[in-house]
Amino acid sequence: MTTVQTALKKKGRKNGKRWTIHLFPIPALIIYSVFVLYPILAALTYSFYSFKGFSRESFVGFDNFVTLFTTEPYGSMFTNAFKHNLLYFGLQMIVMNGLAFILAFVIYKKVRGAEFFKIAFFLPRLLSVIVVGFLWKLILNPNFGTLNMLLGKLGLEELQRAWLGDPNTALISIILVNCWFGLGFGVLIFLAGFQSIPGELIEAAKLDGAKGMTMIRKIYLPLMIPSIMIMTVLTFIQSFEAFELVYAMQGSMGEPYYSTDTLAVFFYRLAFGSSTSGSSDAIGLGSALAAVLFFFILICTMIFLKFTNKKEVEM
Amino acid sequence: MKNSSMWSKPFYYVLVFAVATISLYPIFLMFLSSFKTSAEIFKNPLGLPTHFSLDTYRTLLSKVPFDQYFINSVIVSVTSVVLVVIFCSLAAYYIARFKFSWNNAIFFIFLLGMMIPIKLGIVPLFILMRDLGLINSLWSLIFMNIATGTPLTVLILTGFFKTMPTELEEAARMDGAGNLRVLWSVLLPLMRPALGTVVIVNFIAAWNDFFFPLIFITEKAKMTIPVGMLSLFGEHSADWGSLFAGLTLASLPMMILFFVASKQFMEGLTAGAVK
Amino acid sequence: MRKMTKYLLLFLFAMLVTFVLAACSDNGNDSKADTDEGTSENGETASEEKVKLTIGSWRTEDVAKYEKVIALFNETNPDIQVEFNPTKNTEYNTVLNTSLQAGEGPDIFHLRPYAAGLKLAEAGFVEPISDINGLDQYSEDYLAASKGTDGEQYGVPLNISSTQFFYNKKIFEDQGLEVPTTWDEFIEVNEKLLDAGITPIAMGTKEGWLLSLTHGIVGAGVLDGNTFADKLVTGDKDFTDPAFVESIEAMNDLKKYFPANSEGLGMDDIRTLFAMEQAAMFPLGSWEIPVVNELNADLDYDFFPMPSKAGNQTVTTWVDGSFAINAKSKNKEAAKTFLEFLTTKEFGELFVDEFKMISAIPGITSDDKLLSELSKAVESNSTPYYWVINFVSGDPTTKTVLETELQGMYLGEVTPAEVAQKLQENAETSFEPFK
Repeated sequence: MTTVQTALKKKGRKNGKRWTIHLFPIPALIIYSVFVLYPILAALTYSFYSFKGFSRESFVGFDNFVTLFTTEPYGSMFTNAFKHNLLYFGLQMIVMNGLAFILAFVIYKKVRGAEFFKIAFFLPRLLSVIVVGFLWKLILNPNFGTLNMLLGKLGLEELQRAWLGDPNTALISIILVNCWFGLGFGVLIFLAGFQSIPGELIEAAKLDGAKGMTMIRKIYLPLMIPSIMIMTVLTFIQSFEAFELVYAMQGSMGEPYYSTDTLAVFFYRLAFGSSTSGSSDAIGLGSALAAVLFFFILICTMIFLKFTNKKEVEM
Repeated sequence: MKNSSMWSKPFYYVLVFAVATISLYPIFLMFLSSFKTSAEIFKNPLGLPTHFSLDTYRTLLSKVPFDQYFINSVIVSVTSVVLVVIFCSLAAYYIARFKFSWNNAIFFIFLLGMMIPIKLGIVPLFILMRDLGLINSLWSLIFMNIATGTPLTVLILTGFFKTMPTELEEAARMDGAGNLRVLWSVLLPLMRPALGTVVIVNFIAAWNDFFFPLIFITEKAKMTIPVGMLSLFGEHSADWGSLFAGLTLASLPMMILFFVASKQFMEGLTAGAVK
Repeated sequence: MRKMTKYLLLFLFAMLVTFVLAACSDNGNDSKADTDEGTSENGETASEEKVKLTIGSWRTEDVAKYEKVIALFNETNPDIQVEFNPTKNTEYNTVLNTSLQAGEGPDIFHLRPYAAGLKLAEAGFVEPISDINGLDQYSEDYLAASKGTDGEQYGVPLNISSTQFFYNKKIFEDQGLEVPTTWDEFIEVNEKLLDAGITPIAMGTKEGWLLSLTHGIVGAGVLDGNTFADKLVTGDKDFTDPAFVESIEAMNDLKKYFPANSEGLGMDDIRTLFAMEQAAMFPLGSWEIPVVNELNADLDYDFFPMPSKAGNQTVTTWVDGSFAINAKSKNKEAAKTFLEFLTTKEFGELFVDEFKMISAIPGITSDDKLLSELSKAVESNSTPYYWVINFVSGDPTTKTVLETELQGMYLGEVTPAEVAQKLQENAETSFEPFK
């Protein structure tokens, strides 16, 4: 692959002001650094201090991190929440991204009414998470919710349950609502990916007699790697940062009985206290948890990007 | 290809219809319920409302300065989206098309923002906004939308810049085009699907954000729709019809904008970037 | 095609410029307002006599009511402009704490009761107001909700919340039931309702706070109100006491009287069940009266205090909120004037009439029969809601542990004895008398 740089070099000094290219990333970098990086880094330093109420007391080194993993109930809350995040990721990859890929392919293949379907799939994504949580709480309501009523009409009474009150179904219900919410975005990304595949490649493959599964395996899948990569990284990060919907549907306690707790909800509880009983003493612990979460996501993403970069180069 | 489409076409349609129904039903339920009374909603959640009247909407609109909220939301969202897309296109182009040794580092710094809850930094942020004199200014929201939208936008755009063939660009350079011109008139037009995606995503995020307005805006005249409507949850906790009307009002402008704008975006999508 | 893109871009650019200009001029107004404030702070400009106070609160449902309060206040204080700016209940703490930590925030704010709110005072965010007029009329118990460990008063108590059973009078009459006066009669009423195919108690266990609230009521029945509570708060009794374990077991035994799917029901659901006459009793707080009335104005209901095993009857009470002054407020004098207004009989009467809540000011009566009966019960036979008053420290708080573990108990994950054990372990780390 010839890079643009080599092209530039070949061209010599026709472009006298080549340094101006370095101005390109500056505006984004500045705003992003001031309003995201700086406050986060400032807050991360809290993880090395002990707190009493709102006042920072003394520098305690890694004490907060040690407490987080060795002291009960924090230790078991952490493992519990971590498992839920893993499930979040797994289910979203299979249900949401899997379905989105298929749907994008179907639309790409030009079903009639493609416009309508694209809009339909994407429409939930337009709603605010508060609205989404509220609507689904109503649909999943055990006594007057639509879902149980529908199951009743279909003669499936034994499937009726308190979806959000039963620890066995609460988390899965929330994750599926999240899939409902995020599906359209996945479809858009994958569709954009399919449509970026150069038409000549497909024509050439067809001329070579490729069809059906061979076509998908040899042409579509490899060329879809960039969009698959984007969706995987995004889903991974969003799964481990899962907060808004859980908070909107089950509050900051991960109810019932911590069965819907996630790391970010746990973090929120530590740093801001539960919403009704006032603030907690755990700003330091909360920051420590955020730091752990951060490094975990960072390392996983790095490994993942390394892996896919290699793949891309191989192609 | 023809053989396989014989059996797969019906299956395709069943699939897209099923998913579309599930996607649309809750939204339909929201519209429907806004015309019902609380008792109706609980006794017959699936049925149609017994009478149709816009009274709930009228009362709601007379209670909240919806037009003011709407104008604020439009100013914040449009400005944020235009700026974030311009800034991120520049940055992503730099990261994807040049091989300076620090490019991966820059890319990674941008990604960091997605990996940590921004809520963590809310106190330092508040102090920063106060010192910049941006409390109760729409600019505080615009800056936050740009900054928090940057990681995802850079990620998506960088990915798509990498898929663009270099030949066109090289040709343009041979014709003497500078960087900005290459980006503007060669690459970006090819990127319309991706641009459409990031515009939509950023617009939704900006439009629906309620955490930052909640913290940075205390004056009623500067509030945006989600925050203004959020108060309805408290005021009408028992009046479900009004609540649904409020939710509908909060979501409706976004949907209308989407329908109007989707033509543009979707055309971009179906036209196909590379012919 | 090229032309079209060009126009589109031009259009976008024009839009951007317009909005930037619009936003800038907005900003311009802001900075002008800032300088105005600056001069009034120096206090000398004659034109700036009107002081503006802002009030922060979690009571978004009370906007219209506070407008009436402010109008009454302005009758005597026309120079002080007041704006009531509530934040949604669940986000209030985050919003308030953030602005206070940055040295900003409303002039007056609604303080959460007891330890939760006093934490703000300890951090120095709240102005001591021991010197304002009108405080001496309140009972010590009520003042304690916003009295710091330093002995200073930090808030004016606003309203008393009480929890008890509400019951549907029509259902009770139809079934020939009397209001229970002993614990055994209470159980009997439940059994009869159950036999008649009526859901006895509208209660759900999905939201934890409903569980501590219900234990506040039911626990007082098993533990005979103050008899146990007095010893608990001094540390003479603790949560491993057999009597306390019995109170948790009693909570567990009540489950059969709850509606179907009670593990999935929250506040809105159980209120609706009671208001729609699908359940006979409703264990909840006085603040639900206006909401239930709004949902079904024709509902004929009343309350009964919790009957205990020893034959006493109690309602469980605490101060639900106080108003405090921001230590960084620029208008402390005006804010104090407003707080003094909150201690007057005129305000108390307006409050009871409009808010349909029990005022912390003594001797305020109400035209509403239910409310005035309830106020009487609060004054004559109340027991403190110790989960909020004494057990809201620790991380998680002891109250939170109660809520989570009770939820676990109802889901069959833990036994009542284990609930008591976990409470004890938590309280030993945070509750002074147990340490």
